[in-house]
Amino acid sequence: MENLGALAIILAFCFAIYSVLASLIGTWKKRPFLVASGRRAVYTTWLLVASASGMLVYSLMKGDFRLAYVWAHSNKSMPFYYKFASWWGGQEGSLLFWAFLLSTYTMVVVFMNRKKFRDMMPYVISVLMATLAFFLVMIWVPLSPFQVFTVGKGIQDLGDGQGLNPLLQYWTMVIHPPMLYLGYVGFSVPFAFAIGSLITKQPGDAWIHTTRRWTLVTWLFQTTGIILGAGWAYSVLGWGGYWGWDPVENASLLPWITATAFLHSVMMQEKKGMMKIWNAVLISATFFLCIFGTFMTRSGVVQSVHAFAQSSIGTYFVSYLTVGIAGTVYLILSRLQYLKSEAHLESVVSRESSFMFNNLILLASCFAVLWGTLFPVISEAVTGDKISVDKPFYDRINIPIGLFLLFLTGVGPLIAWRKSSIESLKRAFFWPTIGGVALIAGLMAAGMRHPYALLSFGLCLFVTWTVAAEFYKGSRAISNKTGSNLLMAMVDLTHRNTRRYGGYIVHMGIVFMFIGFTGSAFNQDTTVEVDKGSVQKIGHYDLQIADIQQGENDNYLWHKAIVKISRNGSELGTLEPERRLYKASKQPTSEVSIRRRLNEDLYLNFAGMSNDDTKAVIQAYIFPLVSWIWIGFWVVLAGTLVCLVPAKVRLQYARTEVVGIARKNVEVQK
Amino acid sequence: MSKFKNNRGTVVLLAIALAALSLAQSSSALLTPEIKRVGGRLACLCGTCNNSVSDCPMLECHYTKPMREKIASMQKLGMGDDEIINAVVKDKGIQALAAPPTEGFNLLAWVMPWIAVGLGLLVVWMFISYLNRKRVTAAAAPELDPEILNRYRDNIEKDLAKLD
Repeated sequence: MENLGALAIILAFCFAIYSVLASLIGTWKKRPFLVASGRRAVYTTWLLVASASGMLVYSLMKGDFRLAYVWAHSNKSMPFYYKFASWWGGQEGSLLFWAFLLSTYTMVVVFMNRKKFRDMMPYVISVLMATLAFFLVMIWVPLSPFQVFTVGKGIQDLGDGQGLNPLLQYWTMVIHPPMLYLGYVGFSVPFAFAIGSLITKQPGDAWIHTTRRWTLVTWLFQTTGIILGAGWAYSVLGWGGYWGWDPVENASLLPWITATAFLHSVMMQEKKGMMKIWNAVLISATFFLCIFGTFMTRSGVVQSVHAFAQSSIGTYFVSYLTVGIAGTVYLILSRLQYLKSEAHLESVVSRESSFMFNNLILLASCFAVLWGTLFPVISEAVTGDKISVDKPFYDRINIPIGLFLLFLTGVGPLIAWRKSSIESLKRAFFWPTIGGVALIAGLMAAGMRHPYALLSFGLCLFVTWTVAAEFYKGSRAISNKTGSNLLMAMVDLTHRNTRRYGGYIVHMGIVFMFIGFTGSAFNQDTTVEVDKGSVQKIGHYDLQIADIQQGENDNYLWHKAIVKISRNGSELGTLEPERRLYKASKQPTSEVSIRRRLNEDLYLNFAGMSNDDTKAVIQAYIFPLVSWIWIGFWVVLAGTLVCLVPAKVRLQYARTEVVGIARKNVEVQK
Repeated sequence: MSKFKNNRGTVVLLAIALAALSLAQSSSALLTPEIKRVGGRLACLCGTCNNSVSDCPMLECHYTKPMREKIASMQKLGMGDDEIINAVVKDKGIQALAAPPTEGFNLLAWVMPWIAVGLGLLVVWMFISYLNRKRVTAAAAPELDPEILNRYRDNIEKDLAKLD
């Protein structure tokens, strides 16, 4: 089995290289049969990578502990879904998973475009298959998942394995890595189309139109992956943190930021024929940041809480990145004449400008995160001193940038394309501004003094107001015209322009998330030792330990505290935080218990028993508004899905080129 | 149940381990507002979290617990916040700080993001100026009646509003 798996990877690598060469040589020599064989090699490669993946998954399920990977990442007592998740639980398997996703994406792209883009597709295939070959060579040479334990010349079966890291044995961890990988890998496709478009000197925006939905879906996967990771950290690590600015977390955020910038700036290219160079740069940056993030977390170049073990693959990544970035920069520079803007910017106060500022601030935020992540390495190289760049640094830099982005989220959509007059700006922004300022004043009067929190709440209301006004104005116009009620008119309005109104819904999701982030300014926590029956207080809650239970199953031992919660004498229910000790790894974990409400979460972590074994040690936290982060995600998800629905009215974007010169006495039709 | 009996030795050992790991520590009792204030400026260097000394949630953290005790004892001696921070940095090195110091080479950590924003604004401004110059050149020839032009603009606005 292991030999077949390793052979499948080697053969897949050979077919991937063949596909690249056949596509390129066939195009240059004008041999369509060679191009066709390069295209078909994509299917063969997928079959081989899928076979190798299937063999690894089978070994994990079966518990073939002759394989080093299976031994290190699974054991007999794990439930089947965690055994399956072990596929991406370790370095080697996750690289194979990456290769599997990329080959699947490539196959889908080739199939969907089999009769389209005859000029561009060979290059698209070449880029995707070259990337696949890069990953395959890593799981062929330095990091094979099919290595076996040997003693002398015999293969050794170790009987049982170490098991998946207990912290990863949580339901979101079964979904979180695949979602992130679907995002990471998915950005390869728009990048490949951009490169194909540049090589073939496509005059139009074919690559943008073709990959718009793809990019949106990929962005959604990435968003889902990030939020699931945040949800996992919140529910598993035992202290309620959902984002710690760890290098691995940052690695997932960087391409997400550039992809978000790209999704905004492509609208400029579609509507106005502007920012073509910028879009090519953004999608390239997104792709290379995906590869760079993978390099950071797998090479040991930066220290991270949850990076993979240090390995020798750094050289492979550096080589790939160097060649890839150099090639892309050369290509963009050599195609500048094909990427000229078709329209002019007519005013600084215009939607176009707001998109530019949005892109600028997003990129600044991306740079700040990247800079903070790499600065310890840079500083140590220059000064020789190790330094820490932790949460205080990121908070101080990114909170103002984030708030400015939130402000632009409200401003951008209300500014007209081309030019906005002062009067129209006053009309659009007067009431939302008054609302935001009034809220800040009200909160200050209520005793709130945290400046960023005040600003954030004010901006959240400002953006909500602007978005609500957009929906209301459009719906009212439709309602007046058709006689339908306002709700139906709103549905109709959204259906007429799904991209625009879906985008507004996404913006509302982001507002909800900011409400949740802002709540962290008012977190409370306490650690108490409580014996059975006694009552402790946190905030306005009373906590009473009703019972302490213990037990075991095949996988772990557990201690559980049964805590009755009450407020002002009225019972609110019971929370059951648990502490586990996994047998295979001897590693303890916390299973926190959370009372989730819209205004705040009561979060209990059972930290253990006191020294005299009579009292339970409970870490209790109050996290105000944190649920709005998860609600925000669902709204972002809904908004993105709306964006993916074809609009009822097919839009033709008029581009404001200078097409003629007006004479003085021309009659204008009124 | 029979499985339990067969592995009773292991289970007992694991239970002891669980109890040992569960031992309550009093490091959280050290978290007075004064210690939190100083601890917030210091990184937890345990190697398993990215928290500060005041935020680290691990009861038995081998770095945070002694550091909180150290801060408490220095505060009892009447040392100010900066004095405590300096003493810790002298002992543990500059990496004991939760964020880079704002001096020397490390000042770059703080200023570079804002330099990037400034450069970005400059580029956007240059780009807008460039596009405006092109527009002026293209539109320089004709004499345009502002009234007619405004009517055109109104028509275009109406058309665009329909499309939007």
